[in-house]
Amino acid sequence: MAKNPVAVTLDRVTRIYKNVKGRPDVVAVRDSSFEVSPGELVTLLGPSGCGKTTTLRMIAGFDLPSSGSIRIGGEDVSMLPPNKRDTATVFQSYGLFPHMNVAQNVAYGLRIRKVGKTESDERVKRALSLTGLQDYAERAPGRLSGGQQQRVALARSLVVEPGVLLLDEPLSNLDALLREQMRVEIRRIQKSLGITAVYVTHDRVEAMSLSDRVIVMKDGSIRQIGSPNAIYEDPDSVFVAGFVGKVAFFPVDVLGLEGKGCVCQLQGKKVQAGKMAPGVEAGKKGTLMARPESLRIGEPGAGVVDGSVRQNVYLGSSMESFIDTEYGELLVQIDDPAGKKIAPEGQRVSISFNEAQVRVLPTDNG
Amino acid sequence: MITKDRLFKFLLALAVFAAADLWIYSTLRNSIRSSANAERTKQLSLLALGVPDNPEYIEQWLGGVEQSIEGGAAVYLRYSADDPELYDTLAVNEDALGLWQSIERTPDAEKGLEAAYYLEQYASTVALEYKGQKARVFYAPKPDEEGIELLGIAIFIVPEAAGGNLERLLGIFALGAFVFFAALTGIAKLLRDQIVGYAVLVLTLLAGVFIVFPLGEAFRLSFLKDGAYSLDVWTRSLSGSSLKALWGSIRLGLWTASCSTIVGFVFAFAIYRTSMRGKRFLSAIAQLPVISPPFSLTLSIILLAGNNGLITKQLFGLQNFSIYGLSGLVIVQTIGMFPIAFLTLASVLQALDSTLEEAALDLNASRWKVFSTVTLPLAVPGILSAWLLVFTNSLADFANPLLLAGNYRVLSVEAYIQVTGRNDLGGGAALSLLLLLPTLTAFFVQRNWVAKRSFITVTGKPNAKLVEIASPMVRRSLSVAVWAATAFIISLYGTIVAGCFVKNWGIDYSFTLSNISEALSRGGEAIRSTVTLAAAATPIAGILAMAAAMIFVRKSFVGKRALEALMMTPFAVPGTLLGIAYILAFNKTPLLLVGTGAIIVINYVIRELPVGIEGGVASLRQIDPSIEEAARDLGADESMVFRSIVLPLIRPAFITSMSYTFVRSMTAVSAVIFLISARWYHMTVLIYNFSENLRFGLASVLATTLIIIVMSAFGLMRLLVRDSGALDKTITR
Repeated sequence: MAKNPVAVTLDRVTRIYKNVKGRPDVVAVRDSSFEVSPGELVTLLGPSGCGKTTTLRMIAGFDLPSSGSIRIGGEDVSMLPPNKRDTATVFQSYGLFPHMNVAQNVAYGLRIRKVGKTESDERVKRALSLTGLQDYAERAPGRLSGGQQQRVALARSLVVEPGVLLLDEPLSNLDALLREQMRVEIRRIQKSLGITAVYVTHDRVEAMSLSDRVIVMKDGSIRQIGSPNAIYEDPDSVFVAGFVGKVAFFPVDVLGLEGKGCVCQLQGKKVQAGKMAPGVEAGKKGTLMARPESLRIGEPGAGVVDGSVRQNVYLGSSMESFIDTEYGELLVQIDDPAGKKIAPEGQRVSISFNEAQVRVLPTDNG
Repeated sequence: MITKDRLFKFLLALAVFAAADLWIYSTLRNSIRSSANAERTKQLSLLALGVPDNPEYIEQWLGGVEQSIEGGAAVYLRYSADDPELYDTLAVNEDALGLWQSIERTPDAEKGLEAAYYLEQYASTVALEYKGQKARVFYAPKPDEEGIELLGIAIFIVPEAAGGNLERLLGIFALGAFVFFAALTGIAKLLRDQIVGYAVLVLTLLAGVFIVFPLGEAFRLSFLKDGAYSLDVWTRSLSGSSLKALWGSIRLGLWTASCSTIVGFVFAFAIYRTSMRGKRFLSAIAQLPVISPPFSLTLSIILLAGNNGLITKQLFGLQNFSIYGLSGLVIVQTIGMFPIAFLTLASVLQALDSTLEEAALDLNASRWKVFSTVTLPLAVPGILSAWLLVFTNSLADFANPLLLAGNYRVLSVEAYIQVTGRNDLGGGAALSLLLLLPTLTAFFVQRNWVAKRSFITVTGKPNAKLVEIASPMVRRSLSVAVWAATAFIISLYGTIVAGCFVKNWGIDYSFTLSNISEALSRGGEAIRSTVTLAAAATPIAGILAMAAAMIFVRKSFVGKRALEALMMTPFAVPGTLLGIAYILAFNKTPLLLVGTGAIIVINYVIRELPVGIEGGVASLRQIDPSIEEAARDLGADESMVFRSIVLPLIRPAFITSMSYTFVRSMTAVSAVIFLISARWYHMTVLIYNFSENLRFGLASVLATTLIIIVMSAFGLMRLLVRDSGALDKTITR
């Protein structure tokens, strides 16, 4: 069901919405460049209004860049209408044709491409079985559950063998359990077909779990591009660090650089940080970030930050301990709590860092 | 999208076309001019040959010239027989003489005289002004009998306009061709969304030619008197008798709107706020008058309560009772228009959340208190809306007053009489423009002010269970009132049907079938042409309305709001005005349409488009745009999306708009009465003619026929959109 996958390249794409009635122009996407390799799944991640959907719509052709160019498989498609582009989109609200049944919905793109009846039937059947819908071919879309409608939309996009599959928050209308299932399924189908895909979401877990690479966006600009674990473990800015996962920040003075990391000072105490982001300089202020799993709870006075246990939340494979400190409430994750001694609620404790994992970020970069 | 390259190509194409266009235009114009000149020269030479030899008759001849050349004149130079250098200047017209004396010494005149001296004609190329018009001078010799000696020179002053009409037409065509070419290539070269470009172009052309142009013409011509601008028409129109008619229209509107709103509210309240029996039947009957043809209710009132009415004369033997006038009109209009109020109020009362009334009852308010402090205040915007809608309709109503006004005067009928009776188109235009003022005011107040003040949207999810606040006694009395009104409406329709089978209503009530055969044989042609024209307008209006709705909802382009407002105006323009505007605008080249069936079809389409567009817009707004985007994305182009996705989804609105157009066109009268011709006649006008001639039997048969056709159209529509309910649910998410 897949032909040779193609690459998608955005080159300095900007989209400005002109506001005529005296209001200022809105820059939805600012100077964005990135490349999606053939067969890769790249996620655009960001809060609402960050320009991720606009970017996707420009790739699909529903919106046009104000400047810059978009290439699909080497061809400049910046100004082509959507029907002339080798893309297929799975919409947030699915956009199923309510006056056609499931099979007719899936066959629509083949009908437009004037594919013969036998071949079309064969391909529709394959797409339906790939998405587990073989028993629903005759159903009207209105009589399907949300998850099934989602699969129809996916099948309808896959059946035309698009060069690029575009997914615009496809799971946001589903409940949590279904979302998890579909996430796995979409990734499985995408991988098995080797299809190039661009996926838009504001859900970091979704982005982490199914992407080859993640592009984090904010206010129309790309903030960081990287693999899920690079984005999570080695963010380059306070915004990215905070957006992709739970994190605690500490204001520090950077004393000196040391290999990949640096030495800094947190309220008079020396702290060794194993990693640092570009832009951190000795003698300047910085922000130290620590994920819940790189914090340790110890005896009072033993660590860097003192506090008291406010609440322990038992989660089975792990435990979350909320500690009141002068930096606010910190979350410490304790893995495999069964065999460990847990500080009870109300007890004074001290928190230390796993120095290899903490990272210093430049302050002042939003 | 606009790139330098495309812009350059576009401008190049324009330049090439403009050059070709100009070349063709000037060539044709020159040939028109030269042939006109040749014609003129021949005619004038002959005229000059006819100059009498006897000097005493020359003045008479000069007078004759002014008769034969409209707006022109002549001067004759009679050469003395002794000295070939001397001549007498003869003229009967001071202006002509003055003009000649002012140019006598110019080189051009000398050229003309010299040519004439050698017995040749000369047409001056210098444009002059004569009596406020552009004119040219011709020099023609008057030789003696042998054609050797020059006796005199006739100098003709000929107004330019004579050959200008054809030239003007040519100019319009040349310019039109250029504009059209520019628009088409502009769309093809510069726009990404070409289909939208063409659709906008078509709609703009339609609106420009068939809405703006005729209304503009009506406005312009109301300021013209004998070809010159003057306020005469308006001073006449704003004089006593017309103002009286304006006041008459408004007074009738006030009465009808108030009565209709009360009746409509009682019906809506009884049906949607009480647990009365037979609601569906009552609701159907209450909507019947909306689709009933004009004149039918009037006809039946005349049959019942007219001079020879069944009730007035036969039952009560009244001699001095007259149904003609204000009270009769209020009755007929109320029956005809309360459905508008009913439908408006029904949707308001239906959507009104019972929980609110329940809450008030729960707080120990009495039933009356609940009604007066909760139900009624919430319905106020709806009541105002209904009142204004009926008011607009009453003012624009033409059919009922035409038959039933008697000595009572309303503007729409006055305008009609002005046009057909006195052949004063400008006056008619002025009167119907006068009508536009109150109707437009009411229309915009309703649209932009009242409609936005509705409380309905605030109340949230309506309670399915009805809490009845009417006490059993109130319910009973409401029930009696509503059923009585319903019985009255049914009896009116029954009267029309009965009228078909009565020999001579009011005099001889014996049964006959001869009315039917006579009406069908005399009206057969009219029935056929009425159905043909309505059927022709139906698909055009339906498709145009859906396409317009599509671009209004889904596309953005410069001037969208203006175009939208323009397409909606015919809704607020009284039919009388539109009819008069059409005969004023389309009785001359290049759009000579009066007398054709086309103008009637166009009029139907233009008048019924607004309702179709509204329906299409409402139904498109319900459809998730990503459905269309998905189709686009899968490779369908704009027209394929429209055909395979949009049209099937808005099918209910599409069919409703078509059946609406058909029914309204079948029952049209106010505009079409000005546009009909011997070839293209309309049933409603025939009903009017029969009624005017007291042939009530024939009128009844035609009215019944019309009702049957209209009802079948509605039945067919119901059948076609029945399964749309299931569709609606899945369209929106």
